[in-house]
Amino acid sequence: MAWVGSEILPHEADVRSWLRRTLNPEDLEDVIQETYCQIASLKDVSHIRSGRAYFFTAARNIVLMRLRRARIVRIESVTEIESLNIVGDEPSPERIAAGRRELERVRRLIEGLPDRCRKIFELRKIEGLPQREVAQRLGVTEHIVENDVAKGLKLILQAIADDEQAAEQRRIRTKQNEQARNSTNDQ
Amino acid sequence: MNKRETAQTINDRAAAWVARMDREGSDPAVRAELKAWLAGDDRRSGAYFRAKAAWHMLDRASVLGAGQTQPDETANSPGFSRRRLLWGGGVAAAAAAALVLGVVGMDFPTTPDQQIQTAIGEIRRVPLSDGSLAAVNTQTALNITMEPEIRHVSLETGEAWFQVAKDRTRPFVVEVGDVRVRAVGTAFAVRRSADGVNVQVTDGIVELWRVGDEANIQRISAGAHVFIAPEKQIVPVTAAGETIDKTLAWRTGQIVLDGDTIAEAVAEFNRYNVRQIEIADAALGTQKMIGRFRTNEPDAFARAVTTLTDARAEIGADRIILSRN
Repeated sequence: MAWVGSEILPHEADVRSWLRRTLNPEDLEDVIQETYCQIASLKDVSHIRSGRAYFFTAARNIVLMRLRRARIVRIESVTEIESLNIVGDEPSPERIAAGRRELERVRRLIEGLPDRCRKIFELRKIEGLPQREVAQRLGVTEHIVENDVAKGLKLILQAIADDEQAAEQRRIRTKQNEQARNSTNDQ
Repeated sequence: MNKRETAQTINDRAAAWVARMDREGSDPAVRAELKAWLAGDDRRSGAYFRAKAAWHMLDRASVLGAGQTQPDETANSPGFSRRRLLWGGGVAAAAAAALVLGVVGMDFPTTPDQQIQTAIGEIRRVPLSDGSLAAVNTQTALNITMEPEIRHVSLETGEAWFQVAKDRTRPFVVEVGDVRVRAVGTAFAVRRSADGVNVQVTDGIVELWRVGDEANIQRISAGAHVFIAPEKQIVPVTAAGETIDKTLAWRTGQIVLDGDTIAEAVAEFNRYNVRQIEIADAALGTQKMIGRFRTNEPDAFARAVTTLTDARAEIGADRIILSRN
């Protein structure tokens, strides 16, 4: 699971933008889900040298399989996707920095959440409190905590799906909205 | 089903499932419900797996708190940048290479919920999701899996002390090679070294046995410790007490020497520091010392040795050599 977090999830935005060239949005989402399903079925990942290359290859194979299954196959789409070059490893300095970048990314993902959601994620993930205690600490029901966890996780998955740029813009927007809302309380 | 479920609906429900499992995943009924939902469509398994991976990725955030966060500090996001130094970037990737992924449909029981790794000299206090606390010593790797009937911790290398939250229905079992240590609500430390496994009980009672020899369960109570060498019988327990406080001083970043030889003390400091201490003269190593030091200050120890004995210390940037004058 940790491997997926550090080697697969960070490349999802790139895989998506690559798939977007040949697929419509609804098919794209299906392909992403099926790709994750395939990754989930891996018993051992020690033989995979590059998570990124694996992710691209798996997604391409699923697209090809779908094209072959489809009743009408536009021959161009097959050749087109066959000819797409897999974007392989990142340049090595980037790989070295990847660990640090990942922590930075996790921090940004949590910080980008709406206020109560962010507090809940901080208590759950930084403090390590179970949901029951998070609820007690914040004086809300466990139901609210569970709903906010689901909501926050949806936003985080959305940010993972978007490219970095869009995620950044969304983050700024959320912050601005929040600041506008809280402006009376600010310093 | 006359209308195909949209991918977005599946993604949203997968996120809701992860939230629900995080709250009440120990309930077999909830797990069965999840299993049924997953079985409906492969895309659901994929979406759930993706959401769960993202949820676990956020565990990295725990290092931002480094276990010492005050509750009211967490709301301040600027606090993040101050506390990020404990995380070694390469460690996670290295651990990942050996990771075995679980199979879809069973909520991935073979995948640990939490993996804890410490670098040389790093000591962390990590709260576990069941309310227990783990103090994790230098160069240690732990895998933690919380299941409905059992709380399971596997100590791959190193040493950890556990303060176990009481839960009669879910025993807390630490696995160290073929040795098993079981506790319900108690505190104990387990250390794995090349020679064997050392268990020290600081509170309550633990039960200890070897896989394949379940008929022979030893009960060890607070203040005692036991050492289990490979292939050997579990040796009767030695009462300890003060020794335990001393050997668990690492939890506060200390090494306490009480008549230990210099050679033993050096071996202890070398567990915590890249800058290793070497003893050039074997006779010097047999001398005994009393004192209290920080784990990360081998130079202070070396200077104390030169004050207390006739030794000389060459304190370099990458190593410290102790020799006789």
